[in-house]
Amino acid sequence: MIEVHDVSKSYRVNRPRREGWLAAVQSLYARAYDWKTAVSGLNFHITEGELVGFIGPNGAGKSTTVKMLSGVLTPTSGRIITNGIEPSRDRKHNAMHIGVVFGQRSQLYWDLPMDDTFRLFQRMYRIDPAVFRRNVDFMVELLEMKGFYRTPIRQLSLGQKMRANLAAALLHDPRILYLDEPTIGLDVIAKTNIRRFLKELNAEKKTTVILTTHDMDDIEEVCERLMMIDDGQIIYDGGLQAFNSQFGGGTMLEVEYKGCNAPLDDPRLQVVAHTGNNVTYQFDRTDISLGEAVSLVSRRHELRDLRLREPELEKTIGMIYTKNKRQRELK
Amino acid sequence: MDYASLYWTFIRINIKAKTEYRAAFLLTFLSRGIVWSTEFALIWVLLYKFQSIAGWGQYEVMFLYALNLTSYSLAAFFCFHPFTKLPAKIQSGEFDELLTKPMNPLLYLMSREFTASYFSNVAFGMLFIGICISQLKLSLSAWDFFFLFITLVGGTLIQAAAFIYTAIPSFWMVRNTSIAQLLLFDFKDFIRYPVSIYPASIQIVLTLIVPYAFINFYPAQYFLGKQDFLMFHPLFQYLTLAVGSVLFAGALLLWNWGIKQYHSTGS
Ligand SMILES: Nc1ncnc2c1ncn2[C@@H]1O[C@H](COP(=O)(O)OP(=O)(O)OP(=O)(O)O)[C@@H](O)[C@H]1O
Ligand SMILES: [Mg+2]
Repeated sequence: MIEVHDVSKSYRVNRPRREGWLAAVQSLYARAYDWKTAVSGLNFHITEGELVGFIGPNGAGKSTTVKMLSGVLTPTSGRIITNGIEPSRDRKHNAMHIGVVFGQRSQLYWDLPMDDTFRLFQRMYRIDPAVFRRNVDFMVELLEMKGFYRTPIRQLSLGQKMRANLAAALLHDPRILYLDEPTIGLDVIAKTNIRRFLKELNAEKKTTVILTTHDMDDIEEVCERLMMIDDGQIIYDGGLQAFNSQFGGGTMLEVEYKGCNAPLDDPRLQVVAHTGNNVTYQFDRTDISLGEAVSLVSRRHELRDLRLREPELEKTIGMIYTKNKRQRELK
Repeated sequence: MDYASLYWTFIRINIKAKTEYRAAFLLTFLSRGIVWSTEFALIWVLLYKFQSIAGWGQYEVMFLYALNLTSYSLAAFFCFHPFTKLPAKIQSGEFDELLTKPMNPLLYLMSREFTASYFSNVAFGMLFIGICISQLKLSLSAWDFFFLFITLVGGTLIQAAAFIYTAIPSFWMVRNTSIAQLLLFDFKDFIRYPVSIYPASIQIVLTLIVPYAFINFYPAQYFLGKQDFLMFHPLFQYLTLAVGSVLFAGALLLWNWGIKQYHSTGS
């Protein structure tokens, strides 16, 4: 569905120029610029129906990647194939099969209800009237838009606008949906609604969804696959569970023994802290299940208390960002 | 032809959006009308005092104004918002989203952002042309009216090309308002009066480099029966459409090139 081979992208950035119109005219023919690498050496495949989340710190290259996938930008080098075509070369054709929502920007007519823009899009994408009707109903129902379907866009809240944007991007049954920070600035209810919607859309229509976000809950609740980009490179690509065990350092199990304080000796259960009767074990859930771990630690000695701490995605990611940043600064 | 029906949908939705606020729409219509009528009347007052400028009488200069206003308004109809707002759109990223639509970006912009309220400008421009024709007691044949139409089309293409040319640098520069201001407004002020009042260098610029003189000065001579061709050939009075077409075609080529640059370098 999406194939990315060795893709890099550099932006041309102008050197600052002097003020005044003479300098402006000059800069028309004699421009001084530098190249700034935004992403490099991207390689990945995404199959139909996958839900993929891009995460990474500000300026990592997430938006750049999404723009290349959706045909807005041409890669500086490398090759992208989506839906069997090169999106930047066959932009208009590609556009028929993708839906796009970039942040809070809207293609909806500000002064009119979403309905009017929807009808315009029906013409633009040449959507069959029956299909159009069905999709609008599907969207209004799932995104809970009945209450504001006929309200001019400018009167809608951020969350309502976002839902309308999503609906507008999906009227033509795109095979791939690209979302650049779809939940930015939304409250918990709106976020939850959108996440649930994306899951249902994926289940119902097999739409491939690619989203970027800074909100780890988006990833946890929607995405099956996580790609972490830092400084223009993919530093992780895989499932969420595996990500946790690779970077999260595993689940923590804090136990308080009755009387005895000899920690268990098992290679799968690492002792990370030990004071008095309290022992903290760390383990990887892919090595040993929670049930087995609990039964192991409680087999020989009676427990007074037991607490479980899952690795916190947010913290883990923060740690990775900081570590990589420090490494770059050292170089 | 598929596009024609789509375009019609765009027009309807634009008008609908504007007329959502009937009062505001009417108010714009009236206030614009007052502005244009004042400017128009100002020429009358000015020329009343001087009788003529470089041999051009009151209503003849007003005719120049009316031709300029009408063709400008027709062009601004489709081009004002799309192209003057382009730098902001590129900066905000709205332009990126536009590139994910299955349409030519130029057509999409011009359809989506066409400004229904310029309708009042066009109406007043036409009214002023009518006033001049009747005041000057010009007896125009059917052919002359056809030629007037051709001239307005040509003038519109010239004005539209100016909008497009000034927007294109925003594909690779962040701010270029000074150039746009210069070309679209400051320079346009020259053709409020007969080009013959200016020094030769400016006449050459207005004819060969930024050929605004073809919007009104040259074609007006056909209708007014003048022979004021300066250092150029009388044939120039017929060339408005040709000049407009060439400029507009050039603008389209440059635009496509700009988009290509944008795809590959980002802004
Ligand atoms: N139009 C542009 N011109 C020049 N440089 C750009 C342009 N757009 C992005 N960049 C640079 O490319 C790099 C990647 O930017 P990108 O917008 O892809 O990051 P991002 O991961 O989406 O960040 P954020 O989380 O802040 O949205 C950044 O260093 C940015 O400064
Ligand atoms: Mg971004």
